[in-house]
Amino acid sequence: MAFTIRSMASLRPEPQIVPVNTPQASRITTPVQSSLSTIFPRRVKHSISSILTKFHAGYFRISLSLGGQALLWKTLIGPTHDKSTLRHVVRMFHPTAFLVLWSFALFILILLSLLYILRCFFYFKMVKAEFLHHVGVNYLFAPWISWFLLLQSAPFVAPNTTSYLVLWWFFAVPVVALDVKIYGQWFTKGKKFLSTVANPTSQISVIGNLVGAQAAASMGWKEIAVCLFSLGMVHYLVLLVTLYQRFSGSDRLPAMLRPVFFLFFAAPSVASLAWESITGAFDIASKMLFFLSLFLFTSLVCRPALFKRSMRRFSVAWWAYSFPLTILALASTEYAEEVKGSIPHLLMFLLLALSVLVSLGLTVFTLLNTRMLLPDNDPISGLRHLPTVSP
Amino acid sequence: MDGRENQVSIELQESVEAEAEAGPGPVPALFKLITSNEVAGFDSIIQESETAVSSNSINICQPNGHQRKLSISISMPSSPTGASSAGTKNVLDVEGNGNGFIDSSSADAPSKAKPKGVKFLSQPMPKGSVFGEAANVRNINQHPNIKKFKDKRFNSFKTWSGKLERQITNLRGRQSESESEEDSVRNSEREALPVDRYFDALEGPELETLRASEEIVLPDDKTWPFLLRYPISSFGICLGVSSQAVMWKALATATATKFLHISLTVNLILWWISIALVAAVSSTYLTKVILYFEAVRREYYHPIRVNFFFAPWISLLFLALGLPPSVATTLPVALWYVLMTPFLFLELKIYGQWMSGGQRRLSKVANPTNHLSVVGNFVGALLGASMGLKEGPIFFFAVGMAHYTVLFVTLYQRLPTNETLPKDLHPVFFLFVAAPSVASMAWANIQGSFDYGSRIAYFIALFLYFSLAVRVNFFRGFKFSLAWWAYTFPMTGAAIATMRYSSAVTNVVTQTLSVILSVAATLTVTALLVTTIYHAFVLRDLFPNDIAIAISDRKPKPQNKWFNLIRHGSSDHDIETFLKFANSDSKDIEAALKIPTADATRV
Repeated sequence: MAFTIRSMASLRPEPQIVPVNTPQASRITTPVQSSLSTIFPRRVKHSISSILTKFHAGYFRISLSLGGQALLWKTLIGPTHDKSTLRHVVRMFHPTAFLVLWSFALFILILLSLLYILRCFFYFKMVKAEFLHHVGVNYLFAPWISWFLLLQSAPFVAPNTTSYLVLWWFFAVPVVALDVKIYGQWFTKGKKFLSTVANPTSQISVIGNLVGAQAAASMGWKEIAVCLFSLGMVHYLVLLVTLYQRFSGSDRLPAMLRPVFFLFFAAPSVASLAWESITGAFDIASKMLFFLSLFLFTSLVCRPALFKRSMRRFSVAWWAYSFPLTILALASTEYAEEVKGSIPHLLMFLLLALSVLVSLGLTVFTLLNTRMLLPDNDPISGLRHLPTVSP
Repeated sequence: MDGRENQVSIELQESVEAEAEAGPGPVPALFKLITSNEVAGFDSIIQESETAVSSNSINICQPNGHQRKLSISISMPSSPTGASSAGTKNVLDVEGNGNGFIDSSSADAPSKAKPKGVKFLSQPMPKGSVFGEAANVRNINQHPNIKKFKDKRFNSFKTWSGKLERQITNLRGRQSESESEEDSVRNSEREALPVDRYFDALEGPELETLRASEEIVLPDDKTWPFLLRYPISSFGICLGVSSQAVMWKALATATATKFLHISLTVNLILWWISIALVAAVSSTYLTKVILYFEAVRREYYHPIRVNFFFAPWISLLFLALGLPPSVATTLPVALWYVLMTPFLFLELKIYGQWMSGGQRRLSKVANPTNHLSVVGNFVGALLGASMGLKEGPIFFFAVGMAHYTVLFVTLYQRLPTNETLPKDLHPVFFLFVAAPSVASMAWANIQGSFDYGSRIAYFIALFLYFSLAVRVNFFRGFKFSLAWWAYTFPMTGAAIATMRYSSAVTNVVTQTLSVILSVAATLTVTALLVTTIYHAFVLRDLFPNDIAIAISDRKPKPQNKWFNLIRHGSSDHDIETFLKFANSDSKDIEAALKIPTADATRV
């Protein structure tokens, strides 16, 4: 508890922090009843609250990756015009295996969402601090993106059903609300100008719009899809220029968060897929976005030194590698389907293999190192360490 | 001769007065007026017979841009790295001083004493300073027939500090000098110069001119070896001439300009000339890469010259585009892949630096020459699409488009953190026209017709062209450089795009416009050709000493303001502190005070 009080006191030295702790504190300060039946719940409460304090929206990277994988495999085993052997081999992925994958992704997402809701209830101040942080705020989009991905890859909810529609609206409204707040701040609010807050994770907001557009287009709602798409693309343009310019250098982002640089090529890939959903075919604009994404991917992969420092210790930031790779693999699948030939299929195979390996590897690593998953010095949960943009 | 000696004696008088003011001592007795030839082992430029160029070599008493006044009164070098160059100048300027001073300081060989004798009041010499050792060696190489090739002062710029040369001379069976001197030449320039040094030390729209407070590590008064003076911007000539070949091909074959009845022989001649030029320039530069790799490295780290590394590939692409029909009608598709692969690697490196490289981020280094890095994408897309390829051109078009947008916005913003944009107009601004015009043609080839996308890009190019053309008065008073050839290819590109446009939309206006633009491009190239020939054969300064690559890796402290020969009794610490803050350049003070948020204050 002392840890909690300390961390929250540094954010906001207000006396009303204390009441939050009293329910637990009152139970702890009764050492007279030290029977086993009270120690055990006390321990559980302690561990839950420590989990909740260390938890933050960045953990939704896990559900993002799993959702991405689910969408990838749903597309791969689905109907296609691609007649190549590779696609044929891949289609042999058993539907039951896909169901297991999707259920696992759903389970993880529900778990993470529950944890986050609990955190909102009990540690709302911390959630607010996340919202005010220039990196943390972008990850508030991550749950909604994960839900969109799971919705699109759901094996039993078809896009033309009412339940799909209702769920779409349920996920889209928070995204748009966050958009209005954050994008508006970019050019109106003094301390939160884009030039001061821009960092690679800002692209998650763009991805949120684009994924929503893709989900809408698969429902057949073209106009809303185009609206969200244009919203996403315009801000992507501004963000791309700003990030490329890099006003203040790489000190905006702590070294441990370098894996988020992979978001540079995630955004064009998602845009390419969204445009394909809107127009119905992988036309030249989608191709151009895919090529841009491929170029940025190659450019990052050729600079391993950039990621060296973040690879020293396992952290949840490593999951940031998986979603962009998965989306790029998905885009390359669509590309190979459109442009038949051996080179596109070779590319598709390579990217598929890479994304599957990375996701599997990360899952195994996480399961083996669950203790390291909630570290004490996480860049976002330990907000006092970072130069934040003051509210 | 007499005038020179008089000049020297006057300067001596001034220094004598200064010394007399500063303190006692039989200072006048130290000075004896002799000519430089009488000093044994004296590095006298007059004996150089091979220099075809430069007034520099004769007027050794003329004050140059930097540090000349200093060298008269004190024979102390102003900075360790500039030690020998300043020392060289000292000795040349004050001939009598050299002899007297040397006698008074040590009994060693005169050349050796120069840098070593001065220990007081200067910063400690860095280990392995090239010129400490180089000065030792100099006394051996005073034979007038010694080739500049063997001049040890340029060793730091040679590949592996001259070891390669030694291998070559060993192979040829000649006597090589003793190894000890070579091994002791440790390269102080081994690590890359940070980009800040280029901005601090150089100025001008092409970052070519040295700032007054800076020093260079190579002797400024001597003409350097030809290869060291050969900049990568020479590839600009290839760009200019090969784009002319493409233009004349378009003039002869485009439907809109068929009424002019231009024959294809012009294209043929120009094409063969460009081939010859590309071969000549490439082989020369390749020799420079082999022999003077360090110099090439420094050009690569120069924020403006790095863009010219794209120029050879773009010239080759233009050559393929301007292929005369009489030579061949189609080119093998594999050629496109061969041409674009090195280009792809280079742009992966450069664009990656923009995105993630700390010092070389775009907001800091953006300058109009960066257009050269982006335009190549469009030229490659144009060539590929005209060859019938589909996916590859779209790839390069997409990459080029994205990065062009970023660059265009950055340059238009003219960020305060950006130092390289020239305040007045300079021919480099014509590069703004290049990318949209080539992009419009590339898109037309990809789509098959000159559709709306191409037209939008074309009109943007036209607007930029006219907004620069009406300001032609401002393009005056700049020093000619070979890089200007690179700035002609946008005009040629705009002319070709106009011809393409007028083939799609044929009327009198567009046809007249094509003719006018072609004439303008041709006239510019002709004028440039005349100027180049004039500089090459009459003024003989087509390849001046390439100062931009010879900047030192440390800012020299300005001791010229401080004639304290006598005061070396006071503590060195005070002196060093004073030196740190005496610099008028505010950036240096910031660096000395180590303000961590320098970036924040600038934004």
